[in-house]
Amino acid sequence: MIAHAHLLEGLTVRRVLYVTAICAAAVGAVVWIFLNTYLDLLVTALCVGYTSMILFTIAGNVRTARVPREAMQMLAVVAGSVLGTLLAGLVKGRSLSGMFTERLSGVAISMGLGIGFGCVAVAAVILREKSARDQARISRAESERHRLEKNVLEARLQLMQAQVEPHFLFNTLANVQHLVETDPGAASGMLESLIQYLRAALPQMREGTTNLGREIDMAQAFLEIHRVRMGSRMQFAIDVPAGLRERPFPPMMLISLVENAVKHGVDPCCECGMITLRAAESDGRLRVEVSDTGEGIVPKKGGGVGLSNIRERLHALYGDDARLTLEENAPHGVVASIEVPAPAAVAVAA
Amino acid sequence: MSEARAVIADDEPLLRAQLRSRLARAWPELEVVHEMENGRDIERVLEAHKPDLFFLDIHMPGMGGLEAAQAIGARAHVVFVTAYDEYAVEAFERGAVDYVLKPFNELRLAKTVQRLRERLGSRPPELESLMESLAARLAPARAEHLRWIKASMGSNVRLIPVEEVLFFQSDEKYTRVVTREGESLIRKPIRELLEELDPAKFWQVHRATIVNVDHIASVKRGLKDQAEIALRGSEETLVVSRAFTHLFKQM
Repeated sequence: MIAHAHLLEGLTVRRVLYVTAICAAAVGAVVWIFLNTYLDLLVTALCVGYTSMILFTIAGNVRTARVPREAMQMLAVVAGSVLGTLLAGLVKGRSLSGMFTERLSGVAISMGLGIGFGCVAVAAVILREKSARDQARISRAESERHRLEKNVLEARLQLMQAQVEPHFLFNTLANVQHLVETDPGAASGMLESLIQYLRAALPQMREGTTNLGREIDMAQAFLEIHRVRMGSRMQFAIDVPAGLRERPFPPMMLISLVENAVKHGVDPCCECGMITLRAAESDGRLRVEVSDTGEGIVPKKGGGVGLSNIRERLHALYGDDARLTLEENAPHGVVASIEVPAPAAVAVAA
Repeated sequence: MSEARAVIADDEPLLRAQLRSRLARAWPELEVVHEMENGRDIERVLEAHKPDLFFLDIHMPGMGGLEAAQAIGARAHVVFVTAYDEYAVEAFERGAVDYVLKPFNELRLAKTVQRLRERLGSRPPELESLMESLAARLAPARAEHLRWIKASMGSNVRLIPVEEVLFFQSDEKYTRVVTREGESLIRKPIRELLEELDPAKFWQVHRATIVNVDHIASVKRGLKDQAEIALRGSEETLVVSRAFTHLFKQM
């Protein structure tokens, strides 16, 4: 019994009252046709109503893929009307056989009325359920939208927060400090790279839109600094056609990939590593790629936080029309690439 | 005869050179006997050079300064060198060891030298407990769970962070890895994935399915005693078999 208790789910006091009210009203509406008293008819109506109600509730809770739920419920009301009328007869002490002979017309009328009122009531319930479902769907969509908005906001916030790691800054300055004493020319070169990097990286210095060229320059400044700092351990190359530099490109994504390539790629493996930046355009899509010959991805080591941040931001900016992919580089290392739709080559006119 | 023998460990060559030249000025009687890029050779260096003290950069690839200090133990005095003192200052102020910040400040370095000179005669303190608490704070628990999925796509190997995975589902010989952007196949069976993934984030909901709970949009009762999972980012719904429906029972 307990196992089937869920079949009666939805059989609330409210539903019982609702059915009782309908029965009372229905009897009131048709009592003038009959010779019976109001009370007598009400007994019949309640038998029909409650039987239909119970069957309707069960029909609504039986899950089967074959018959639509609404059809089951309608069927339940018809069956309920028939059974309810018979039940009413029994309640009033009439014999079953009598109901199918001399009282047949009365029985048929009451069944018909049961079915009629029942169907109207069921239609009302089904419509209300449907609108509740629609409402739920709308509010789900709404909450999904809120979630996305929140993600975008968070992503933006993260972007706004200091992009310049103190470690990076102070280590670089320590290098400059040393070079000032030993190799002033190299010191001023490194300071220049640092200034260029800071200009691009400090949020208040950054404008809302940027192009690929500016992002590449920032990445280059970052890589120059690291080439000095890491000595012979790191090399880099940049292969970006001049024609693509004016292309719009979201800010701070390329630098994240380059930072990953240094921090998680080249730095952990102690031998020399090569980092290559490439950009290419084909079929209206701009693909920017950062490859390294470093340690590669260690399956149990983290590092996806910056990446999911990029993914969220790409999704916010381009929907499903942009992507970030990571692939293994041969023989070792990682290739990270961002692909965004490139507007038709109008922007080149300059 | 030098007053003390020191080893400098820093992954950045210029910073090693800088510390060496600064030390030469601040402590001419100190002999820098060796330089290291990271802490890996620490045993060999201890053996070969018998240094009295180490200057250790905290962040070095391979083996960092904290690990190296742990290995050194009480065999030599340790001074940490760091660019940014996230946690260091507070811990070092307790006086067990000293620290120097990069870029170097002449006065601060002179103070360190003075302190070291005073302590050279005494036995280096046991740093174990300080090291442990520091190491725990500096290096957050190493990930023991699977963080990346490697899936071949033609001749390439695609790298997928597990956070992006909506669900894994076994498909005869392979396991489907489904993300918002598409799906790929891997050979690792559900059973093995289950052992390696973070159980707080990845739940088995069916003999053949592991779902990333972060991407579940809703769960509703389905046929028989099963349940159905709707996901954010995929049209597919997942069946929760009877054995796993308890995971979603209301609290």
